[in-house]
Amino acid sequence: MATAELVLGLLSGGPAHGYDVKRGHDAWFPDSRPLAFGQVYTTLGRLERDGLVEVVEKTSGGGPDRTVYALTGKGRDHLTDWLTDPVPPAWGNADEILRKLVAAVRTGGDAAAFVARQRASHLRRIRELQDNPAEQDPTSPIVRDYIVAHLDADLRWLDGALDRISQQEVSE
Amino acid sequence: MTTPALELTDIEYKYRRNVALRGVSLQINPGEIVAITGASGCGKSTLLHCAAGILTPDAGAVRVNGQELASLSADDRAALRRTQIGVVLQFGQLVPDVKLVDNVALPLLLAGHSRSEAHVQALEWLKQVGIEGEADAVPAELSGGQNQRAAVARALVTGPSIVLADEPTGSLDSRAGKELLEVLVQAARYRGTALVMVTHDNLVAASATREIRLRDGVVQHEVVL
Repeated sequence: MATAELVLGLLSGGPAHGYDVKRGHDAWFPDSRPLAFGQVYTTLGRLERDGLVEVVEKTSGGGPDRTVYALTGKGRDHLTDWLTDPVPPAWGNADEILRKLVAAVRTGGDAAAFVARQRASHLRRIRELQDNPAEQDPTSPIVRDYIVAHLDADLRWLDGALDRISQQEVSE
Repeated sequence: MTTPALELTDIEYKYRRNVALRGVSLQINPGEIVAITGASGCGKSTLLHCAAGILTPDAGAVRVNGQELASLSADDRAALRRTQIGVVLQFGQLVPDVKLVDNVALPLLLAGHSRSEAHVQALEWLKQVGIEGEADAVPAELSGGQNQRAAVARALVTGPSIVLADEPTGSLDSRAGKELLEVLVQAARYRGTALVMVTHDNLVAASATREIRLRDGVVQHEVVL
């Protein structure tokens, strides 16, 4: 799960409290499951412990607790590194690619460069799988075909994403 | 420094008022396998046809092994294309009603080799691509995969330094495509031939050592694989 990095991305535009982070996440991923408040505060607590975010304002009293968090320099570096590295092209990692791509576009990162690196990573993995024949047991070739087909599907989706990003850059 | 097998500098090409290529530059080194990718209409086939000398760019230079095509006489340019560049198109483009062995021998005959010598080499290449048993068949008697193998043999028979392939597996099923790709890749790996493939197929692009992606007639990105 890359919830921690997404929270860093959501704070990259400026300090915010947990409620804003949750609403921001749900706006980035409108068709997926909303982020639970509990998870937001747990994540912010862990990020604060690790020095990636800091509390810049805290008010309490009659209303709800209003703790405002901000990205630290270490947190910004961590976010930049995360957005730079392609996701290992392994089984079930497509969600992580989506998270990174959305975060890169939303935070003004170089999303096209990320897609290019991710394409390269996927293509290399397909070549490795094609160059090394699968074991000749009853299921290894089936598993191999599954992985290659899913990597190919990711690549086709990345192609479409790259086109959309490029069109947006042209129209801006 | 190695002389690039193929060097394109600021290539521009227009189809009437539609600009297909807008200043594309790239270098391909001997033995490199390069996939040119991009959406339909991005200019990738036009680029390949300019590199092959099938189309003449409106601007820019094409150099094959350091020789600029535009600086050569028409005869020298044709000779260089026949001996240094092998071309494989999507549907083979073999000469109908001509036996496979004669189709494959054709570039050697045009380059001045004797009929018997061309015949021997053509048979050898048909063997290399696994269809020596079909030497006396004509294209209409064979499958798309067999014809495409013959097209690859014809492209390789002169020992070119560059093979330019436009969707080489596009007309084949996945198994025949994979086998054909293997022949092309082996030629590049073991003979030092530079292989440039235009493809929209990610499984073909994955065989390359570099991907050059075009969008709207310009290089969008270039990555080492």
